[in-house]
Amino acid sequence: MPSVVPVASSPIAGQAYSRRRFRLSPSVANRLTIGFAIAFAVLTGLAVIGVARFLQQRQDFEDATARSYQVEIAARNRIAAGIHPVASRVIVVKQKAERQHLHDEIEGKTRDTALLVGAGLIAALTGAALLFTGLIATMRRPLEELVDASGRLAGGDLEARVKVGGLSETAALGEAFNEMAGELQRRAGERDQLETMKDEFVLTASHELRSPLTSVQGFAELLMLEREKLSDKQAETVEVILDNTRHLVRLLNDLLDLARSDAGRLTIKPAPTEVGSLVEDAVRTMRSQTEGRDQSLVQRVEPGLPEVSVDRDRIRQVLVNLLTNAHEYSPAGASIAVTATRNGAGVELAVRDDGPGMPADQLEHIFDRFTRGDAGLTQHVGGTGLGLAISKSLVELHGGTIGAESTLGQGSTFRVWLPAAGADGPQQEAT
Amino acid sequence: MTRVLIADDSETILLLLRTRLEMEGYEVLTAADGVEVLEAIGGADPAPDILLLDAMMPRKSGIDALRELRAQGLETPILIVSAHQDQMDAGAASDVEVSGYVTKPIDFDDLFARIAELTGS
Repeated sequence: MPSVVPVASSPIAGQAYSRRRFRLSPSVANRLTIGFAIAFAVLTGLAVIGVARFLQQRQDFEDATARSYQVEIAARNRIAAGIHPVASRVIVVKQKAERQHLHDEIEGKTRDTALLVGAGLIAALTGAALLFTGLIATMRRPLEELVDASGRLAGGDLEARVKVGGLSETAALGEAFNEMAGELQRRAGERDQLETMKDEFVLTASHELRSPLTSVQGFAELLMLEREKLSDKQAETVEVILDNTRHLVRLLNDLLDLARSDAGRLTIKPAPTEVGSLVEDAVRTMRSQTEGRDQSLVQRVEPGLPEVSVDRDRIRQVLVNLLTNAHEYSPAGASIAVTATRNGAGVELAVRDDGPGMPADQLEHIFDRFTRGDAGLTQHVGGTGLGLAISKSLVELHGGTIGAESTLGQGSTFRVWLPAAGADGPQQEAT
Repeated sequence: MTRVLIADDSETILLLLRTRLEMEGYEVLTAADGVEVLEAIGGADPAPDILLLDAMMPRKSGIDALRELRAQGLETPILIVSAHQDQMDAGAASDVEVSGYVTKPIDFDDLFARIAELTGS
């Protein structure tokens, strides 16, 4: 038996792929951030120094201007007093020129400082804008990819992976996502493998069980051929062996059908089939059993029905299964009816009984495996609990639908819709 | 008397088949696998009228024996006994001429009817 091996390790392949297309490693992005931060600090420092120097220059200018006025006023006082008037006038003119020079100088410095601060501000803002757009861009691409990959993964694409890149945060997120997706894919692979092993097991087991069952059934039949040599008690015992063997065979056949269905190996050979003879055939098979319990079994086939495209044996199996259920779950004296009517582009077959019916919660799971009617009833019911699950698989394989309705205490109706021969597929649901 | 060669690796199945066939008045030859079938066909006198071979047997399967016998030009009717549909599908898919398939558990009434039909007895 093969051990369980995880499927191809595509997460690793995905990462290798992402590294080839990689643009910015997380460490580079971090260095860039630090670089920008240092540049900001230097620029801010320079701006502070520049503005402080400018304020000092302004103060110096005002002090010098004030001193110049004082000198001029002193000179003007000396002119008024008639002391060195000529020299004092020269001083007044010099001081005016000096102040004009100081004024021109500070104006130039103000302009330079304003230009420097303005340029610095613009540079800082541009840098900040660049850094932020860069940050957003490096985050946006991986995040968009993550959203996209998550959507695909949720939609069942287990191959969905992201390229691991961008900032360390988004890279970590991407790595975590890829790891999770890889794990999901590995588990899905394991599950598929287990399913295949289970199918193989059922196929092999049902095959291996057939030979001993053939012997048991064959020898029990052999005993019954010499019925006259057996006591009544012995004959009854052999009948029990035969009954149980037949039940086992039915169970094996059902299990085999289900395993085939699961493995996609349940095949049908559809051919145009006349509905009336199909119903007739199934009813004939059941007649002796229903008569044995005084149950009435009637068939009503609408005249002029189109042929259906079915595998005759398989749809007969479905009908017999539905009739067997109606027969086994209904009490003695019950009425069972099979009807065939036209419905849309096909034919609806309905099996109706006036037996005990089912509550809604049971009806909901009636096509599940090993679901059977009420436990109190199942004691005398010989079914395998697989019949309806198989019937559903078979009907769906034909492109048809199957459904059930039931009223507790009034009986149940099972409806099978099958496409008419030549029809494309189900166009009318079985209600 | 119609001679039937039966082959199965299970002794109980062989006993069952032999008993039922003899009760029906057939003369029965047995083989435990495909190799014994080929030996029996070579040495049997008179040759069997029909062969009933289990599809799966050790050493040589019924399907392989069937293939070799047909290659040798044997035209005797051959029925293949198989456990389930899948084997029959596999057999039917091959191009070897087979007279029919019998599934386990064996429906003896059906089997006798088919033997009678194939051998004209």
